[in-house]
Amino acid sequence: MSMGDTKSQQALGFLTILEHDQLGYVGGYLILNSAGRPLEFHCTAPVKPNRAQQILFGPTLESYLYGEQIGQTLLAKSSVDLLAVCTDVERALCVRDYVATPVALVLAEPAGSEGPSADAVTASGLAASWRVDAAHGAQPHLHEFALGRNRLAVPNHHDDDRQQIAERLTALISFDLAEPFERIREAIEEAHKGSRAA
Amino acid sequence: MQEAFDPRGAITWQPSLSVVTASAVAALPMALPVALATDVWQLSALASPRPQVISPLLRGAQTGAVTLSLVAPKLKVSSFQFPQFDSWKSNLSAPAPPAAPAVNPAGAAPPDPATKARTRIKPPGDVIKLEDRLLYLLQPSLETLIGDAALAMPFRPFAYQFEGVAFLYPRWTAILADEMGLGKTMQAITAMRLLLHAGELRSVLLVCPKPLVTNWQREFSLWAPELPITVIEGDQGRRRWQWQQTESPLKVANYELLQRDRQLVAELGLQFDLVVLDEAQRIKNRASVTSQSVREIPRRRSWALTGTPVENSPQDLVGIFEFLSPGYLCDSMKPRRMGQAAADHVLRRTKDKVLTELPPKTFRDAEVELSSAQRASYTMAEEEGVIRLTEMGDAATIQHVFELVLRLKQICNFDPVSGDSSKFERLAADLDEVAASGRKAIIFSQWVATLENLAGRLKHLRPGLYHGGVPSKHRDGVLERFREDKRQHVLLLSYGAGGVGLNLQFAEYVFLYDRWWNPAVEDQAINRAHRIGAAGPVTVTRFLALDTIEQRIDQVLREKREIFDTIFNDVEPRESLGLTQQEIFGLFKLRCPAGPIDLAA
Repeated sequence: MSMGDTKSQQALGFLTILEHDQLGYVGGYLILNSAGRPLEFHCTAPVKPNRAQQILFGPTLESYLYGEQIGQTLLAKSSVDLLAVCTDVERALCVRDYVATPVALVLAEPAGSEGPSADAVTASGLAASWRVDAAHGAQPHLHEFALGRNRLAVPNHHDDDRQQIAERLTALISFDLAEPFERIREAIEEAHKGSRAA
Repeated sequence: MQEAFDPRGAITWQPSLSVVTASAVAALPMALPVALATDVWQLSALASPRPQVISPLLRGAQTGAVTLSLVAPKLKVSSFQFPQFDSWKSNLSAPAPPAAPAVNPAGAAPPDPATKARTRIKPPGDVIKLEDRLLYLLQPSLETLIGDAALAMPFRPFAYQFEGVAFLYPRWTAILADEMGLGKTMQAITAMRLLLHAGELRSVLLVCPKPLVTNWQREFSLWAPELPITVIEGDQGRRRWQWQQTESPLKVANYELLQRDRQLVAELGLQFDLVVLDEAQRIKNRASVTSQSVREIPRRRSWALTGTPVENSPQDLVGIFEFLSPGYLCDSMKPRRMGQAAADHVLRRTKDKVLTELPPKTFRDAEVELSSAQRASYTMAEEEGVIRLTEMGDAATIQHVFELVLRLKQICNFDPVSGDSSKFERLAADLDEVAASGRKAIIFSQWVATLENLAGRLKHLRPGLYHGGVPSKHRDGVLERFREDKRQHVLLLSYGAGGVGLNLQFAEYVFLYDRWWNPAVEDQAINRAHRIGAAGPVTVTRFLALDTIEQRIDQVLREKREIFDTIFNDVEPRESLGLTQQEIFGLFKLRCPAGPIDLAA
């Protein structure tokens, strides 16, 4: 059996970040080929912000952790060219500010279900908790769109990503983009179970 | 702060604190004491005073500062890259089957499409390396894989079938031991197909009993039409050429042929990624040529398919494991321990647990009294036989006892003198009812003579005959006629030829005209009809002649069933397991040398 040329494959990244009461934050990043089979998997050691970070980063802490520290680190590990990166964690969309690849949030509700209109601003609680430092810390405005049976969203300030994602993922339109996150969660659990045992 | 008067006209000020406040400075007594000089001594005293100057420290002490670094340390990341194999490709001679229809033609209710069931592949317990475990965990669900147009399936599998595929897929040693009729063939084909398409397999050898070769071909064309198969058959020159074929990834051979080609396989240096044994109970006897032949085949993965991994004793399972993983199980293990050791390698499901949609199976024990003529023949044969065995004393062998058992059982079927048969009278009445209702029945016996006798008496029902004496090339035709001809209501089968691999789910009645030694073989026979696709409830009638050897054997069969339960259901046996020579001789209250025997299935 020979190894295939992974560089030439169309690959899609899936990023999720889990929050654990004791351990802190753990990031998992799965890269799949167009058949949905795994090419690479990367996961971080648990990250737990200290007290000083909590005080000094204030409301920007999560975007720093999700986007810069975990998201950016993981995405840099990819050894293949990616069509796009999907995440199921809204706060992880911040990673888009540090990478050139389009990043989309996979919304849980299936396309066609009742919900906000396509152009609705979906950031939860945004209007009620606007802050002067919102540019760094608050949830970004999202622009929703449908891709096959998936409902995706991109940050408003990266609205061009919509077009790019729609074009790049045309061949994967039947793909259930929410499914791989379940795999990542199991793999993170397995990896940490293994590290504990070691 | 402390102040004191100095006789030299100076002020001493001893700050006790390092910080002097403005109010404290204002409160200092600034007036100097004055006195008149009256003499020289006093003049000297008038010399200018030299006040001691004290510089109070008005600055505070050095303030400590803490610098907090907000630059996070480099985050530790564990990375895994997975091998990508070239998928097996061939000139696809057949298109993929159409997508799964909404209604499962098997007759049972299909899974609810609204439920997003996902069957995931779990790494087996013996996969230790984290990277290998993750490779399996990160595979897409089976539902996702077969959603791919290239891997579409003709019918939507049942959830338990997906689980069976997920069980086989990651395993290098596995026994799929589902009860007959649950679709082991389909599960094995799907697992092979997925592994071939993933590039994890490139050469597979499937070994099955000869009568089942055509059945496997049919199933492959249904579930994996794009996979070309090479059936090993014909003369030696042809077989040599077939064995060397590399264009098709799948070879199908039968056990008998494999024995003949044992040397050829070794000579050609063949090696397989996977060898699958169907009806793997055939290799339970480790000393048999069949077992040795399959164990010699070089291979990376080994799977065994059998509905009866334990037929007679736990040693049967040890025999199968000698093919899968030599030495993993041993004869000295207690059944419970053996069951625990084998657990991760064996998947066993029963219909009542997983196939709740399958129509019920009803058992009727037809206990019949022998006719007076039959009883007379029976009594005479038994008395003569026992007397002969008694006279033989220690020279009597198990073979002698078996001969007597078979003789008595034949009399229970038909009286050789008068032709009487209480069983037949009961059977004939039942079959008339079956035919009148337009249904079909299958009848099993262990003797060809009994089947032919029945065929002669049941001519009006146009019975088909399927036994070892029927040439292989005619057998498919017999089954085809029974399936298609609405006027043919009865098929007569021998346990040996018709007990395994046949799909007769359109028959709603099963009659066991005589009983086999082994309950697993009886189950195989019953499940020809009671399987996926069964049109309705299946009624099984087990004939038993009262106060005969059949009744005593029935007791033995019940005990054997407990052996199976102990290994696969983790329950303690109620009585001693195994069948000893003593027990066999005990059927006739005879004494015999002690020691276990192996009753052939």
